[in-house]
Amino acid sequence: MSEYSVVGKSVPRVDALDKVTGAAQYGADVHRPGMLYGKIVRSKHPHAYIRGIDTSEAEKLPGVRAIVTQADVKTGRSVFATDKVLYVGEPIAAVAATDPDIAEEAAELVKIDYEELPVVQDVLEAIKPSTPRLHNDDTKDGPARRVIKARLKKLSDDESQDHSAEIEELTAKFESLEDEVYYNISAETHTEAGDVEKGFAESDIVVEDTYVVPRVHQTYMEPHVSIAEADSSGKVTVWASTQGPFAIRSGVAGTLGIPLTQINVIPTTMGGGFGGRFGVALTHVPAVLLSQKTGRPVRVQMTREEEFVDGRPAPGCVIKLKTGATNDGRILARQALAFWDSGSVSGASIGSTIRVRGVYKIPNLKVDAYGVYTNKSGTTAYRAPGTPQVAYAGESQLDEIARKIGMDGVEFRLKNMREEGDQIPAGAKEPKVGYKETLKAVADAAGWWNREKGPNQGWGVAIGDWTNGCGPGGIYISVHEDGSVRIFHGSIDITGTDTAIAQIVAEVLTVPYEQVTITRGDTDSAPYATGSGGSVVTFTMGNTAKLAAEDTCQRILALAAERLNTSADNLELKDGKVSVLVQDPPRSISLGELAAYSLSTTGGPIVGKGSFARKPSTPALAAQIAKVEVDPETGNVRVLKMVSSQDVGFAINPMAVEGQIEGGTVQGYAWAMMEEMQYDEKGNVNPGFVDYRVPTSADLPTVQSVIVEVPAPNGPFGAKGVGEPPITPTLATMANAVVDAIGVRITELPIKPEKVIDALKQNGK
Amino acid sequence: MNKHPVSLTVNGDQYDLLIEPRKTLLATLRDTIGLTGSKEGCSTGDCGACTVIIDGKAITSCLMLAVSANGKEITTIEGLSSNGHLHPLQQGFIEKGGYQCGFCTPGFIMASKAYLDEIPNPTEAELRHALGGNICRCTGYTKIIEAVMSAAEAMRNA
Ligand code: FES
Ligand code: FES
Repeated sequence: MSEYSVVGKSVPRVDALDKVTGAAQYGADVHRPGMLYGKIVRSKHPHAYIRGIDTSEAEKLPGVRAIVTQADVKTGRSVFATDKVLYVGEPIAAVAATDPDIAEEAAELVKIDYEELPVVQDVLEAIKPSTPRLHNDDTKDGPARRVIKARLKKLSDDESQDHSAEIEELTAKFESLEDEVYYNISAETHTEAGDVEKGFAESDIVVEDTYVVPRVHQTYMEPHVSIAEADSSGKVTVWASTQGPFAIRSGVAGTLGIPLTQINVIPTTMGGGFGGRFGVALTHVPAVLLSQKTGRPVRVQMTREEEFVDGRPAPGCVIKLKTGATNDGRILARQALAFWDSGSVSGASIGSTIRVRGVYKIPNLKVDAYGVYTNKSGTTAYRAPGTPQVAYAGESQLDEIARKIGMDGVEFRLKNMREEGDQIPAGAKEPKVGYKETLKAVADAAGWWNREKGPNQGWGVAIGDWTNGCGPGGIYISVHEDGSVRIFHGSIDITGTDTAIAQIVAEVLTVPYEQVTITRGDTDSAPYATGSGGSVVTFTMGNTAKLAAEDTCQRILALAAERLNTSADNLELKDGKVSVLVQDPPRSISLGELAAYSLSTTGGPIVGKGSFARKPSTPALAAQIAKVEVDPETGNVRVLKMVSSQDVGFAINPMAVEGQIEGGTVQGYAWAMMEEMQYDEKGNVNPGFVDYRVPTSADLPTVQSVIVEVPAPNGPFGAKGVGEPPITPTLATMANAVVDAIGVRITELPIKPEKVIDALKQNGK
Repeated sequence: MNKHPVSLTVNGDQYDLLIEPRKTLLATLRDTIGLTGSKEGCSTGDCGACTVIIDGKAITSCLMLAVSANGKEITTIEGLSSNGHLHPLQQGFIEKGGYQCGFCTPGFIMASKAYLDEIPNPTEAELRHALGGNICRCTGYTKIIEAVMSAAEAMRNA
């Protein structure tokens, strides 16, 4: 690592001062002269026809300036509910007033006439014929019906023989599989590799279980907020706390029919996102509509309660999983049937069901996944979307098998892990990865090999994998007469990515980190940048920064060659100055001097640019070990030790990387042990931090993070995206530790004390 | 709605305001006075993002009405550094990486200050317990605790 002087070092972040002094400007900190305050009118019923919307009382309230409904949406794109609501909290109208309290009062005064409909909240209920339909009567076939259907098609296509007997038999079977006619399906995906039936037949042991993972909220600490300002020319400015300002620009443009050139999105500092802050529906579109109608700036800010009822959380999931293995610990087959709780609209994460294959050589794999409509808000991404849910099922079941065949959990995983060149089930060949290194690292650091446990204590291990995304981005660099370097870009800092970009530029230009500053533009002034999600930023913008810095370097060397009267290949940029390589006496010129000189040349100032689209990224593994102690009286599970390792490729800023590992691990812990959005026929029943508990510092000990570095060929300096992997194993890590402590597996998260007590009773303790 | 005269001393500056009785101290600090460093994460007293110090005690300003703060001395995150010098807690959060998105940071720093002024030498377990009213969703708390522990040491040695 010593070959580098800036990357690989835990330098303080570029935004350090702003963040600790309260100076950083988040969404709600933006205040515009004459600003109005918006409030959304929301459905009070989870499923109902709207028979009337009466805004007259609200309009009479002094201070109310405008009320908008779907009638104000000229494009006809759906923004507000019109004739039917599908969940509690669904927007029906929005009010703007001179004061937030008046806006809230006015929203209460909008009268909605509902005709209530039966409600369905459970995915396994929602697919049944007897339950209410949210959208239509369409049906989809379950896995067995699909297999028969495919066979029937083959038979009827084959005219060489008479298959009528088999066709008749199969048709009868097809029709008898009534419980495989699914209603309320929002989406489906199906993947197959090898032959699972054969794989199970060859297995010595086959384990089958159903795992239930609850819907959880990202609970970024800053609730959604937007300030919109439409001027008389039609130009719209939106101040947005978002992961993707360019996505907000195109989203608002598309929804409201505004040309891109007429929208400027000014990103503010973002108070957490975790995947949940890309959409325009929650606050941005209503704010723009209200501003257009009033001609004044409007702020729409969600309360925490609104976040719970109308945010876009991570979907819950029911996974029926079956795995077969040999007695000597080879996994032969795995089959998954997953039902994802999409809520009222087709949602996120279903595509991740394939990740149930983990990083193992599973020769026979079959995955069938369905998204299911229920009377809840829609869902979206949450840190490695979909993977924590399926990794929980997959890694729990591996733990069961390891116990049954009497094999160590780490050994069992190591034995089945893929290496470079291995076939990924239903995928390509595995590139060079650090799976085994990462698992061994956590086992060593946690003291797994000579672990001890007292009464009611248990150890759990699990892993999770994720591959960072990639997207387009551009960066400009300018070198100034004092030798300082400024970076211009448009990507959102997601917990330290600006710092990584600055470190990369400083490294390439061989200047001190402190000499590099970074400016984030708005969508009018910055080059395009992909959204900050999917662990893309360090990979994408890091590569972009490297290219921009190298481009700047070229310009610097050309200029120095001119100034020093030599050729560029006789020059070297080092320690912030350009020196002549072969020359006696040695001569050099500093970057500042060069920048000053550039102002009087025909070439002009030193400016570099980098543009990057995509390159293949490399999968990353996170591996965790927890030691817990269960209180048999209260059912409380206390974490005694939590160690989390991750292959990060190369840690550009180790302190920031550790922070990601620690934060992701604790979010995973919370999903396993505490968090659950609960619903009944009245909607979400725990919309606040009292009933939806997120962990505090009192809940956990220190998380020990272990950085593993197996460089990614296409990452900047070998770096991989680090944000998402650490949440992927923790649900299973905790579940496996609890099993080790109490001897019973709880297959429905979260593992709350009352479930532990029940499980202990069941186990006769 | 009738407004009431409210006099607040915030970070040493006196403000004589006319405030509706339903307005919280947090709303007054942020919207009326324009000090937006204190954050609103829940408005129900459950996250600690709005923590300010009143008469030496950490208070969730979203739960306090501005009228009940009448006559009080209030310190917010903006008032913590003096003459351009960062408070050891601010320094600690930078050095130990005790923040990520930073939204919870003002609240954590103010809650920690009130606590350390009272208990200058806590154990890690005591500190974890004491900061149990503040939520951070990003860091997993490890580096926050390190930051506050190192600041506590710096404050003791100051
Ligand atoms: S905003 Fe005051 S405690 Fe959350
Ligand atoms: S740093 Fe984001 S909530 Fe604490």
